[in-house]
Amino acid sequence: MDIASREYARRAREILQHHPQVRESVTGATVNFDRHRRSAYERIDAEAWRRWAEGVKTHLLTHLDRYLEEMEENLRKRGARVHWAETPEDVHDLLRRLATENDVRRVVKGKSMLSEELGVNRLLESLGVETVETDLGEYILQLLEEPPSHILGPAIHRSLQDIRDLFHRVHGTPLDASPEELAGAARRVLRQHFLSADMGITGANFLVAETGTIALVENEGNIRISTSLPRIHVALVGIEKLLPRLSDLSGFLQLIAGAATGQRLGTFVSLIQGPRCADSPDGPDSLHVVLVDNGRSRLLADSEAWEVLRCIRCGACLNICPVYRQTGGHAYGWVYSGPLGSVLAPGLVGLGAAMPLPFASSLCGACEEVCPVRIPIPDLLLSWRRRAVEEGLTSSLERWVMRGFSGLVTRPWLFARVSRAARLLLPFLRSRGLPVLRNWTQHRGGLSPSPKSFREKWKEGIE
Amino acid sequence: MSRESILSRVRAALSEHPRRDHPGHLEGERAPGDVLARFAERFRESGGEVQQFGSLEEARAWLDEFTCDFESVAVSSWVPDEVRPGLREEEPQAAELGVSVARLAIAETGSLLLDSREGRAVQLLPPTHLVWVWTSGLRDRLSEALEEVREELPAALALHSGPSRSADIGQITVKGVHGPGRVIAVVVPRPGSADLPDR
Amino acid sequence: MRVSLFATCLGDQFFAEATADAVRLLRSLGVEVDFPGGQTCCGQPAFNAGYWGEARRMAEHTIQVFEESEFVVLPSGSCAGMLRTRYPGLLLVDGPNGEAACGLAGRTFELAQFIVQILGVREVGRGLEGQRVAYHHGCHALRELEVRDEPIALLESSGAELVAWETAEECCGFGGVFSVKLPDVSAAMADRKLETLPAADVLTSADGGCLLHLAGRMKMRGLGTPVQHLASVLWEAARGHR
Repeated sequence: MDIASREYARRAREILQHHPQVRESVTGATVNFDRHRRSAYERIDAEAWRRWAEGVKTHLLTHLDRYLEEMEENLRKRGARVHWAETPEDVHDLLRRLATENDVRRVVKGKSMLSEELGVNRLLESLGVETVETDLGEYILQLLEEPPSHILGPAIHRSLQDIRDLFHRVHGTPLDASPEELAGAARRVLRQHFLSADMGITGANFLVAETGTIALVENEGNIRISTSLPRIHVALVGIEKLLPRLSDLSGFLQLIAGAATGQRLGTFVSLIQGPRCADSPDGPDSLHVVLVDNGRSRLLADSEAWEVLRCIRCGACLNICPVYRQTGGHAYGWVYSGPLGSVLAPGLVGLGAAMPLPFASSLCGACEEVCPVRIPIPDLLLSWRRRAVEEGLTSSLERWVMRGFSGLVTRPWLFARVSRAARLLLPFLRSRGLPVLRNWTQHRGGLSPSPKSFREKWKEGIE
Repeated sequence: MSRESILSRVRAALSEHPRRDHPGHLEGERAPGDVLARFAERFRESGGEVQQFGSLEEARAWLDEFTCDFESVAVSSWVPDEVRPGLREEEPQAAELGVSVARLAIAETGSLLLDSREGRAVQLLPPTHLVWVWTSGLRDRLSEALEEVREELPAALALHSGPSRSADIGQITVKGVHGPGRVIAVVVPRPGSADLPDR
Repeated sequence: MRVSLFATCLGDQFFAEATADAVRLLRSLGVEVDFPGGQTCCGQPAFNAGYWGEARRMAEHTIQVFEESEFVVLPSGSCAGMLRTRYPGLLLVDGPNGEAACGLAGRTFELAQFIVQILGVREVGRGLEGQRVAYHHGCHALRELEVRDEPIALLESSGAELVAWETAEECCGFGGVFSVKLPDVSAAMADRKLETLPAADVLTSADGGCLLHLAGRMKMRGLGTPVQHLASVLWEAARGHR
């Protein structure tokens, strides 16, 4: 998926002004997710779990070469094919080859943000392969031709009525159908796809180096079915998704479930070691694991920004983010949105292309408090902002203002005089000429400074 | 080649960071009390049903009554004759009921650990899933269960904690979206003829 | 005990009376207050906007101004957070002022934090008897300074009833430069605070920026809950007692 973050401010405004239902749906859903997350954290010693998880991921990342090789060896031993892809094009080439060699006509997909990042659906369509998203939310979005707006609940920006209207049009269900009826209609259609698909494509939540285990977490069962019925399973995995040992998995499976939805565990967890073998009556004949870099190794070398690679994609930072809650994910213009997206985008696609996402935050710090792997998101945002200034990506007016302001600040007598002048002038200033002032007054009315500054009051004496 | 260039970039990147040791085992929750009670409570919490019988005879009697509501069944190869439903058998995609055997059951998360060797379709396609849990297969913690199966990993394992569900339609929870909408764990002593791995 | 007051830009220009109330409150608690005249801005706007070179100069200036102070007290959680949690990192990078930055960080307090943690006072007076108070936790006071209980303790002991506000700990959308860079999102965030605000006699917070933003938004939406800085509310609690 291409990045369209430059449009962030315009898209955010458009969503707020013209699609108020998005704010309502997204706020409702995320507040709910976060309430569940909070109760899950209260059940455990969350601080100890988060420190542990941070430690495991940091250990993993600082030994990544070793674990990647171990992982590869263990997967091969079990008969899986391991592929390495540096770019989306590498993944496209591989999928094109697999589809042609195996005469693949129909693909069922489990929800995978990486596949969005790589533009997999568009590629498959161009090959004439029928590609069906099977996660209910993703299926809805595929019908609507929209990208996901949340890494966990891809369609949370859509209301029940939106989906009723859609299914009425597509499946002929009544306009007042219950959620059960709607889900039933989707189930019937998707079941046929599962039974006839040649290939299942999924992501992976974790990859265990020690055993070569691919761990997939979900609530619907579509991933389990996609990895069980078709004759080929392709798992797309970012190289940062590894875990060292099987014993690490139980902590991470519980933590990701708690952080994401407050569950003790995702309803279905698949732990896949390889393709079907002699002792199993069903399962895919071949398993292809694609280890995807796409900017991750470069980000690993960035000692100021690499900590985002600990991310396990739970969505907790999106759910608690008051900025994200206003607009949902589409405003960000990229596959990953919210606080995570804002610190990952500059690392993966480059700061220039990701502007102004590092600035799409009030730096409230709520995200860092809930992150299960303790990524210091506000620090990462600040670091990207500093670099944006260093690289000349901010406006020249802003640079000029900041330089002037710092000049004033270090000259107290001048600062006092200019502040006074500004305070006295403010009520008479027309905001038309000053965009900064207009941006304030448009939403909050005029500014009314104190009649006398504190400095003046102090001089006069405070009774 | 992609492999070499990725690995060499990773190695070069790692010179930027001091190596960190693995923090060791996570001391999770060790709750007091009955493992079965805790399993039942948590499995029910996520919408699953639990039945428990002290003898196979009782379980058999319950099963015969329970299966009256179903016309067809898909049964995994692991289900011993003592507890095999007397229903018309079908392929999993056509059966109303799927019956399988859990390798282990985990109290901490309220989960059933299922094994690909008994067949996956039977665990996933029928709308109702009945799972036999042998009393000897109950474990307190997930880490314990994973450690136990580590030496004998099949092509795939799965943890099922309740029925299939989704809240993707207007944030309203719906059961049985793709996988079974109803799942019943039946805890009984292990029958003599059951020969699945249980060590 | 002697403290230096750091009025902050907003405290000086927009909350002059509240800042004076902070002085009155501190004096009533037996503290001698001085006001170093060389003080200007802590540099947070520049820092948060990515202008760390400029922010560093402002930080160095501020460190110099408060070099001799035993304690520095600010009627702002956000600016106090800048001094306490950001100066050391900002100046340790390449400056000879790293040590001074750490020293200042350790001596800097937000007003309520200072009253409770340093003065050991948990009640300033009971002058708010019968008043319903809504308290907005500014993000930096809450998450950088970890000041959560201090203002609550002072308000509760004042006789006021703290109203349960679902979003009391959620960001109001001010965020300094954020409020003018992304004004639509910023205003929507304030609206969520206001949509969930229960009936109250006063809305207060330790941060002038948040209050300015919330008050402006309330006016635009025709809402009428009075807004007052925490310093003034606490001074009222103290004064009413006498």
